[in-house]
Amino acid sequence: MKTAKISTYAIAFLIILSLNFLLPRMMPGDPLTAICGEEALIEMTPELRTELMHRFALDEPLGKQFFVYLTGIVRGDFGYSYYYNAPVLEVVLEALPWTLLLLGSSLILSTLLSIIMGIESGWRRGRNSDKSLLTATMIMNGFPNFFIGIVLLLLFGVYLGFLPLQGAKTPYSGLSGLNLMLDIARHLVLPLTALTLSQIPSSYLLMRNTMITTLKEPFVLTAKAKGLSEASVRYKHAGRNAILPIVTTTGVRVGIIVTGALFIEMIFSYPGVGLLIYNSLLMRDYPILQGAFFIVTVFVIVANFVVDSLYTKIDPRIGIDGVEHAH
Amino acid sequence: MKNKHNHKHISSVTIVSILVVSLLLGSSIASSGSETAKAGEVIYTIADSTGDWGYPSPHGHYPRGPGYVRMSFIFDTLVWKDTQGFVPALATDWEYIEDENAYLFHLRKDVTWHDGEKFTAEDVAFTFDYVKEHPSWWVDLKSVKQVEVLDEYTVKIYLKELYAPFLNDDASTLAILPKHIWQDVKNPSEFVNEEALIGTGPFKLVDYSKTHGTYLYVANEDYYLGKPEIDRLKFVKVSEEMASTALMRGEVNATAIPPETVVEVNGKGFTVINQSGDWNAKLMINHEKEPMSSKEFRHALAYAINRDELVEIAQRGHAIRGSPGLLSPNSPYYNPNIVKYDYNPQRAKDILESQGYQLKEDGYYWKDEEILELELITAPRMGFERVAEIIARQLGEAGIKVSVRSLEWKTLDSRVISQQFDLAISGHGGIGGDPSILNKVILGKFGYSANYTKSESLNQLLEAHLHEMDAEKRKEIVREIQKIYAEELPALTLYYPTWYWGHDGSVDIYYTMGGIARGIPIPLNTLAFMEYKAKVKAPAPTATEAPIPGFEPAISLFVLISVAYLIKRRRKH
Repeated sequence: MKTAKISTYAIAFLIILSLNFLLPRMMPGDPLTAICGEEALIEMTPELRTELMHRFALDEPLGKQFFVYLTGIVRGDFGYSYYYNAPVLEVVLEALPWTLLLLGSSLILSTLLSIIMGIESGWRRGRNSDKSLLTATMIMNGFPNFFIGIVLLLLFGVYLGFLPLQGAKTPYSGLSGLNLMLDIARHLVLPLTALTLSQIPSSYLLMRNTMITTLKEPFVLTAKAKGLSEASVRYKHAGRNAILPIVTTTGVRVGIIVTGALFIEMIFSYPGVGLLIYNSLLMRDYPILQGAFFIVTVFVIVANFVVDSLYTKIDPRIGIDGVEHAH
Repeated sequence: MKNKHNHKHISSVTIVSILVVSLLLGSSIASSGSETAKAGEVIYTIADSTGDWGYPSPHGHYPRGPGYVRMSFIFDTLVWKDTQGFVPALATDWEYIEDENAYLFHLRKDVTWHDGEKFTAEDVAFTFDYVKEHPSWWVDLKSVKQVEVLDEYTVKIYLKELYAPFLNDDASTLAILPKHIWQDVKNPSEFVNEEALIGTGPFKLVDYSKTHGTYLYVANEDYYLGKPEIDRLKFVKVSEEMASTALMRGEVNATAIPPETVVEVNGKGFTVINQSGDWNAKLMINHEKEPMSSKEFRHALAYAINRDELVEIAQRGHAIRGSPGLLSPNSPYYNPNIVKYDYNPQRAKDILESQGYQLKEDGYYWKDEEILELELITAPRMGFERVAEIIARQLGEAGIKVSVRSLEWKTLDSRVISQQFDLAISGHGGIGGDPSILNKVILGKFGYSANYTKSESLNQLLEAHLHEMDAEKRKEIVREIQKIYAEELPALTLYYPTWYWGHDGSVDIYYTMGGIARGIPIPLNTLAFMEYKAKVKAPAPTATEAPIPGFEPAISLFVLISVAYLIKRRRKH
């Protein structure tokens, strides 16, 4: 059973690898034209063109390019960027920490907040606090994340002016240590808030729903009858049991949040992988696209795997092979 | 029971308060000590919406104007340009020797490379040979036959044939490399270490961050024109939408600004400079396809399009109306005496009727039971979609049914190159520089080029002006080119957008005559940074500029009090 699961991951991985290679190449427009782009002053002489075709291996047949791409991945070599004029891995790895910081903290924050909000809301079902929270979340759910981002940016960045307008840190500020961390945190606040706010509604609704269902279960009544504290019933008994669907969907959410980060990074000029993918798309920089998509793929698959494993920790009834064990 | 409940409550409140407090503390710390520079140093910060333009070495930067500009702070050319035209750079003076078809350059004798080595004629000769062997984005040295070193500070450059654009396109564009460093470099584009940044220019690079899109330069103490008065030059990344705000807040000294903010920026006491005529938006017409293959039909299209309306509505007045001859009225080569195609829908209709089209009740022209319908492709950039909608309406009013389709920009490019289109909106820059650009944008195969080689007389003139060494005679030929181009009308220039830069006046940045190097329309000429004026006018403090006074302390206080209260309450239980 365990091997079946691993082979599922392997097949998914291979399909994605092939798509990463093919999709950029299926887009209209070739990299050389894209590199010269709209800059009419650039001299694309026939000699330069030939040299570049050769340097980027674009004169090779597609099959050979694919082979080189696959063997390169095995060796950890993702090729050389057409536009950035640097090894792909170097370019992607420079952007990756910022994306991980943004995505990771947003994932944790949105999951925790939606769980707490869902539990509290479900517990107080029908009361005013539940109703207002529900309404607020529904309204928020209607806005796309980049809209939330723009509103936050205008409000806190432009009008109130106490948070930075963009970027991940103040350039050439000479800060170090704790001050540098605080500077980075300050830059993170707005994109993180925007991304987190857009992530909360769906998980919150799910959590609230399962909470309401769980509260009807006999064991909750038992817990209450035992004279346990309210908080204990709410979090330890009902909450812990209601949490399972959230954990399952978190794996799926990793994929969604990566897409969400693309827009957020664009709005806040946050120097992560999303912004890199966007720019490389415009430049038809196949190697960067392949490398960035590869990293994102690995990230999502690993996250799913971690979530799958976490599942067994939270609900011991389910083994790693996905089969329910009898108690 | 209550105690437990409160415990949960308090811990979450505590976490949130700690977050908020540290955040606010962070903001006050970060905004206090933010410079590594020594006291008294002059720092100049320039904003850029893209940020990263590549490693600023002659072969390392990305093939775009801003990339060249970042390199030009470190490297020099033989000849440079200012607001008036050519000025000496590494060469003190130069002359064209007609009998030999060669340029003689006398070089400065007081120039040293950033590593202390002496600059000589050998470096110049080496650079020409090197770039011939390793093609560069910016210069095509096909016109250069041979470079001869006459003595340590004199070089003679022989041309293969008469080549008028040499001084602009080659001598004032080619960055001179130090021979002692580059002679061993086999692969120039991958040569990206500190040695690749040893130039003769007014600045040296301290740091470049690809990820954050930032550059930091320091003044070159030994620069041959004297040390620049700007000690530190910074390029930082600021998005287009936030650029004006960053300028008005004093975070940057200069930035390109959107046209909408010009009045506000100006009103706050900043200097706004503008430029138009380097870039043009074009209506591409597929002259290989019926019915656009008829010259008269193309004329009808031009008469039916109201370019003034495009300027007023699509560009909100921030543009100049396009000249059908391609070059703008701001170009020294501009020819005003060409057919203008002033808006005249009736004239368009007359032409269509003379071509056998008949107007039907539906308001459109028909021929052979077929409606006259064209597809106009456009891309979501630079307001092109709005332009396309207006043109479609205008042509519709003249009886030509037009459907607009928006494509991704690169897709549009490849459709235009392969001539799979009827009409398209595209555009390009470079027309403010040397007229050699005309050959590229009329004859070339690019998404923005007319790709038109059908007119023999046009082809001949385009060849002729390149070899006309007499400036006045060349101007005449270029004027003639515009006249024929306007008559043939393989594409119609719609408008020249106006671009704005705002700055605080401490450095008198300006647009270079004919653009930097080959014609880059960015007002960041290195020569401007030699001189620093004490701030002419400090930006007036505004409500949006500083955080609301007392706001941060108030919040911190509130949070602290709440935390104290909750802890106290907890203890009571």
